[in-house]
Formats: sequence, C-alpha cells, structure tokens
Amino acid sequence: MSDTDTTDDARTDGGEETADSESTNTRADGGPASETSGTSSELRSDGGETGIVAPDDEVPTWSERKERKAGLSRLTYEYFERSRREDQELRQESDYVERDVLGFPTWPHEIIRNGAISLFFVGMMILIAAALPPSLEMPANPSATPSIILPDWYLYWSFGLLKLNPLNPGLAVLDGGKIISDQLYGVLANIVVVGAVAFLPFLNKGSARRPVEQPFWAAIGVGGAVFSFTIAALAVQNLIPLPLSLQLNIVFIAPVVIGTMTYALLKTLREGYMYGLNRRYYMLRPPK
Amino acid sequence: MSLEKRDEFDHHAWLKEKDLTAIERVFLTTLVVLDKRLRIVDYLELLEDAYYKINLQMPKSHTEQYDLDNKFWYWYPLYSLGFFSVLAYIVAAVSGALLGFYYAPSTASTAAGTPVAYASIKTIMQDIQFGFALRSIHRWSAQIMMAAVFLHMLRVYFTGSYKEPREVNWLLGIILISLSMVFGYTGYLLPWNQLAFWAGQIGVKMSLSVPIVGEWGAQMLFGGFSLGQPTIIRMYILHVFILPFVVTALIALHVGIVWVQGIAEPH
Ligand code: HEM
Repeated sequence: MSDTDTTDDARTDGGEETADSESTNTRADGGPASETSGTSSELRSDGGETGIVAPDDEVPTWSERKERKAGLSRLTYEYFERSRREDQELRQESDYVERDVLGFPTWPHEIIRNGAISLFFVGMMILIAAALPPSLEMPANPSATPSIILPDWYLYWSFGLLKLNPLNPGLAVLDGGKIISDQLYGVLANIVVVGAVAFLPFLNKGSARRPVEQPFWAAIGVGGAVFSFTIAALAVQNLIPLPLSLQLNIVFIAPVVIGTMTYALLKTLREGYMYGLNRRYYMLRPPK
Repeated sequence: MSLEKRDEFDHHAWLKEKDLTAIERVFLTTLVVLDKRLRIVDYLELLEDAYYKINLQMPKSHTEQYDLDNKFWYWYPLYSLGFFSVLAYIVAAVSGALLGFYYAPSTASTAAGTPVAYASIKTIMQDIQFGFALRSIHRWSAQIMMAAVFLHMLRVYFTGSYKEPREVNWLLGIILISLSMVFGYTGYLLPWNQLAFWAGQIGVKMSLSVPIVGEWGAQMLFGGFSLGQPTIIRMYILHVFILPFVVTALIALHVGIVWVQGIAEPH
C-alpha cells in the first residue's frame, strides 16, 4: 500500500506527461490513492498476467523515474525545481534595465588595466626588496639563548597571547597553584581568539554593509584591530620601558576605549549619512 | 566505381571562390588537416563557450543598477587587497622555487662549523648571481602577502562582506590566513640561524603544552622533543611541498567562490 502511495504522489508532480488526465486529477486533489486507477492495478497484478508491459510514450524514462524517487533525492529535486521557478519569476518581474554594453569586456580592457596594476605592485615589491635587503643572523646555537626571541612580525599577536600567563588564575585551594599550565593557557587563548573571529558571520547577520549602518559591529572591529596591536606589543614587552602590569592593562583597556570612541563617532555621523543614503535610495525606488 | 576519394562538397571550388589571402589559406588548410585528424569540430562549442566567457559582458552591479554610487564608495580601492595577496603569493612562489635549487635542508656541520642549511643560505647570498636579490624578494613578498591578507580581512570585515551567502568564504579565509602563517613560520625556521632555532624551540614548547595530543603533535611536526635534522626536514617538506599545494588549491577555491557569488556590494 505504501508503495502505491508513493508512486501516486510522485506522479502528481511529474504531471505533465501523465497520460490519463482523469486519474491524474483525482490524485492531484490530494485524496488517498485510488485503488481503481490504472497504475495501481498494474502494480497489484500478481495473478494471471506477466505484469510486463511494453514501454510506450507514457512509460517514464530512467531519468524521470530517478526524479520521482521518494526521500531526500526527491526533496532535492523539488527544491531545485522550485528555486528555478522562483528565479524565473524574479527575472520576469525585475525592472533590470538592459543596455547594449553592460560593462567592459575582460579582454582587452580589464586585462590591460589589471596587468598595469600587477606590474606596478610587483615592481614595488622588487624595489622594496632591493632597498631593504634581509640579514642573516648567527647560526643556530642550542647552548646560547639569545636575549630576544621573536617570530616574524605577523605572529606577534599569537606570541603575545602566549605571554598572557600573568592572567592565568591561581586557585586559593591549590595554594595559588594553577589548573592549567601557562603554556596551555596561551595556546587556549590563541584558539579562543581565532575561533571568535571564525564565528563572526554567525553572530552578525543582516544586510548592513557600511560601518555607519552598524556602529556596534564597527566598534567591535576597530577594538579587535587595536587589540591585535596591543597584544603584539606584549610579545615585545622586554623592549618596552613600561611595567608589565601597566602594559597588561593597556592591552585590554585601549581596545575598549578606542572601540567606544568609534561607536560614538559613528553614532554621530550616522544620522546625516543615513539620511542622504535613504533619500537617494527612495528617490530611485519609491516605496510601493 | 573509382577508389579515389570523392570531394562531395567540392572543397576546391569553394576555396577558389573564397579568394583567400595567403595567411587565410594556410590557416584554413591547417584547420582542415587538423580537423580531419582530430575532429576539432567536436570541440568548437567548448571553444566558443570559453570565448564568450572571456569576453563576458558584465551585468550591472547593484550600485550601478540603483545608481547608488554617485557618491563614491570610498572602500573600493581596498577591494584590490585580495588580488594583491594573490600577486604577492605568486611572486613568493616563483622566487621560492628558484631558491629551492640552492638550499639544502640539513643541520650537519660544514667544515666551517656552521650548519649546512645556514651555509647554503650564505652561499646563496654571497656567491650566487642574483642570489641575494632572490632571497630578498622571497622574504619581502612573503611579508607583503601577510600584510595584504590582514588588510584584506579587515576590508572584508568593515564592508560586511562576510554576511549571508559568503560565510564559507570567511571560514575559508580563516583557514587560509592560518596556513599562510604556518607557511611563514616553517620558512622562518629554514635558515637555521639563532632566530630560527629559538622560534622552533617555542613551537615545540607550545605543542608539548597541549594535553593528550601535544606530544604526538610535537613528534609529527618537529620530529621529536628537541630540534635537529628531523625538524628541519619536516619544516622543509611542509614549506616546499605540502603547503604550496594545499594553499594554492584553497586560494583557487576561495577566488572561485568569489567568482560564483560575485563581489559583495554596499546597499
Ligand atoms: C591567502 C589569503 C587570501 C587570498 C589570496 C584571498 C583572495 C581573495 C580575493 C582575490 C578576493 C576577491 C575580492 C577582493 O580582492 O577583495 C577575496 C574575497 C573574499 N575574501 Fe579573501 N583572500 C585571502 C584571505 C582571506 C581571509 C583571511 C578572509 C577572512 C577571514 C577572507 C575572506 C574573503 C571574503 C568573505 C571574500 C568575499 C568578499 C566580497 O565578496 O566582497 N579572505 N579573497
């Protein structure tokens, strides 16, 4: 029975090519599969005849059968059908203005422009490389620890997070002992920071693009960028003539302060800016 | 009936009638000869398709369509930063491949008492034509790529380009920036100088501090708990074999997704 059901339901949507419109209609009503319809009786023929019917125009092709399969694949098929129809409708009702030339062709316009920019950038890199040659320090010596150990500058932020050990909380119960080692604390700090950045698109949704449209998130961004500098400064703390505790305070307070300033600034700019933006937008697309 | 092949469409008459120039005739003859042998006609559609894709007439962008850009969207110049990262990556790859001809990843001692890796860098800088320039270009393009990637990430953040359909590209970007930093780190260790050795030391300490998988990770990445020949070989393989393939593939995917999804426009 359930087999028959599925087949019939499937037929409803694949409708166009079904031959006997009568039985199609009954099924399209959504009623229970009718026991009398031709297809069902064919399926139930387990008695006298062979049940093998020569294929004719109404017999679904292999791909049609595949489309009508029950379950996830069918759902996928239906979804694609729907979204295709949706696209089609959107296209039909769009007020998209067709022009003869919609943009510059890739060749030669874009390629020549991009080629010029590329050559300029590469030339600039070579110029910098020529002007500021790299040095080669002393060879590795496991028995002499240098006074300054640093990775390349773009890892300073990570290195700074490794030096957060003064903030690793000690527990009174453990006599000031720590639950996790200082190194593990630093590694975890790295994971937390990278994880938070990765998670961003799932926290801030919506269609706003300009910082003025979302002063809060812009402030978070500026705070984060400032933090990447202050935490990098922590990596070179032994080169900075400030007491460690003061520097640790700066690391966390400066981003908050500058973030707040950004927030205030954008809030102030916002009204005038949004007013102009909205006016232009609605002049072109008056509300229906 | 003659066994001689018949020219059913009378190509000769057609050719005569066309009155071709020498270049055209050579071209057409070549085409016919090739087509008889390779069935080029079967692939014409593909070529045609490629031609129209290359000469694509871009649809109007959102800003253009709604005429929102009569005020200049002042972030646009920053949209070149992704491309700039790719460019610096390519320069680093080319100069790195050339450096690879002369570099030897070994910590064994030379007669002068310095490690072979260190000595090979020294040779590159002092003895080989343009070696110094090559190393300088490789270092600087790597640094510039990192700077461009950071700035690219900031522009993506502040233009809200990571939103709805583009989350995957943001995540891919996080993976790319992390791998780029690993790229830089493994390269930093290769000269086997003081900075390299002690940066490596910190890496080992970091991975050892991770519970459960830490020791396994240290052995896998650094070849043990103290630095030596196994470390430099691992860093070398990561830097010149594994990461180039992985990062190149991911960049292609990243840019491919941008191609498919289009650049995010301000509304
Ligand atoms: C190896 C590093 C990277 C390369 C080579 C690269 C390359 C590119 C390129 C060429 C574009 C086209 C638009 C443009 O140039 O701005 C792009 C777009 C994009 N990138 Fe990257 N990228 C890298 C790293 C990142 C990172 C670290 C992130 C963020 C975490 C990121 C997120 C995105 C997003 C979301 C887009 C789409 C932006 C839009 O549609 O406006 N990418 N990338």
